[in-house]
Amino acid sequence: MAQHTGSATAQMRERTGVVLPQANYRAVRAKTVATQSVVTLILFILAFYFMLPIIWILIASTKNAKELSSTGIFSLPSHLHFFENVRLLTTYQHGVYWMWFLNSAIYAVAVAVLTCIVSSMAGYALAKYDFRGRNGIFLLVIASLMIPGTVTAIPLFIVEKAFNLVDTYTGVIFPLIASPFGVYFLRIYIQDVVPNDLLDAARVDGASAARTFWSVVFPVIRPALVTLFLISMVGTWNNFFLPLVLLNNQDLYPLPVGIESLMSLINTPEAAMTVPLYPLIITGSLISIAPMIIGFILFRRQIVTGLTQGSVKL
Amino acid sequence: MQPWTFLAPFLLLFVAFLLVPLIYAVYISFFVRRMGVLYFVGFQNYITAIQDHQFWVSIVRVFFYGVVQGVIMIALALLLALLLDTKWAKFKSLFRLMFLLPYAVPGVFASILWGFLYSKSMNPLLHNLKFNPLSSGFLLYAIVNIATWEWAGYNMILYIASLTGVSTELYEAAKLDGCDEWQLARFIKLPLLKPTIVMTCILSFIGSMQLFNEPFLLTALTPISPDFTPNIYIYNMAFSMTNLPYAATLSVFLALITILISVIALTVNRLWRRRTPTAGAGASAAPAA
Repeated sequence: MAQHTGSATAQMRERTGVVLPQANYRAVRAKTVATQSVVTLILFILAFYFMLPIIWILIASTKNAKELSSTGIFSLPSHLHFFENVRLLTTYQHGVYWMWFLNSAIYAVAVAVLTCIVSSMAGYALAKYDFRGRNGIFLLVIASLMIPGTVTAIPLFIVEKAFNLVDTYTGVIFPLIASPFGVYFLRIYIQDVVPNDLLDAARVDGASAARTFWSVVFPVIRPALVTLFLISMVGTWNNFFLPLVLLNNQDLYPLPVGIESLMSLINTPEAAMTVPLYPLIITGSLISIAPMIIGFILFRRQIVTGLTQGSVKL
Repeated sequence: MQPWTFLAPFLLLFVAFLLVPLIYAVYISFFVRRMGVLYFVGFQNYITAIQDHQFWVSIVRVFFYGVVQGVIMIALALLLALLLDTKWAKFKSLFRLMFLLPYAVPGVFASILWGFLYSKSMNPLLHNLKFNPLSSGFLLYAIVNIATWEWAGYNMILYIASLTGVSTELYEAAKLDGCDEWQLARFIKLPLLKPTIVMTCILSFIGSMQLFNEPFLLTALTPISPDFTPNIYIYNMAFSMTNLPYAATLSVFLALITILISVIALTVNRLWRRRTPTAGAGASAAPAA
């Protein structure tokens, strides 16, 4: 076992009988260190590019309206106005911002929970039952993956108007639950992961179809459900076009639509004169982004799994 | 009976909120509305769309945008993935997280952040440079930058996932044959990534065709024409011009163009893959976060 404790060069000498010239070895090492520094420097510069807007908004959220337009983007103000900005945001139109925040949370959680339930049921039926029309439905699901969400948004508005669903929570939540991706993803997963023997055993034990699904299948597919939950939650939190089209009442807006409505006020001079719009938008944006960024850092493993499985397998 | 019970909730929602709107869009595209009454006009709306100069200009614009943005973003994503995959890279997981973080920022907020950084009233540096990123000549590239910032990390993750599926023996063998890191990236990793690169190109181009959020948000900071992208044109047609039948026609038209491009791209890709059966080794690899 003596070889294992020796240095790499000693090992090399023992094995090959060749003595490495020390000077040459040092030159190689110096070159490696130089390359390492260059690569790390490039990575740092690129990281700076990716972090730049995030660093900027952290600094900008501590400035008041005057400092925003007069000081450099990275210069800190002498007095931190962050909490003052949050107070401005909270008092703006009787706290409508926090209403938007709550709406975003309601949409995101409701869509994520319901997508998981609805998709796992459909995915289970398509994966484990043999029935007429199975392939037809699965083909329809795959085909609808190709249709961009923005295409159906305006017709959806017309249909929802006919059913009085415009300007309701359900009007935003229901279209997002009908997720072809979720069904596709869980059908594949259930087919691969849930063994038929397990289902047979449950059936032999006298479990009903519903019980088999809830107490046998559901726990087994938990990892995939976590992934789907996160993906649909993030997707809903970030969704802009659909709520923009389907909502007129600002009390129902999610954050992106709400902040956009503040942005559009920049061009109306009366509003821009009476309300400090820039600090409102900047602080409002920061608070909207924060949960996503924190959640992303915490759940990055599951999210990355979802991203790669979701698209690479397609 | 059982499978239909399990399928019922999904099918109900799918039909009500996806299929019906889609069919209704096709249906209403054969009508025009005059004084609140719908008149059947057959393919008239489609003929109008084919002759609609504004619509085609917007399509050509997103085509151009899709190519420029796709090339820049995918080149950057490849550079990130390949750099992080070398033996020289330090703090790999930290860098990977920082590159991917913009993906967590919703598109609307990414547009606001960059929009303010582009705006002279927020960024005094631009005063001295005498450069306006939001001027009409540069606007499209300003949006290219926003989208690249948002999506480069996402594409990088897909490449990294493909690379981690490759067995290390292949690299060992290449190194024994005298490959240095540069040659390893150029002659081993890049060819292995080809199927993933093709797929991300297709996804990116389809996404570009739908461009809406970024220019829509930037209208608050700079004048943007109402036909800047097909989706902005359709949105304005539906809500500013309140011409829903024609908006539906353009939606259907855009969907057909998008689907046609996807089908062509996927077919070409499949034929290409059949010719090189060894590629795609790491395509469904487990990712590393």
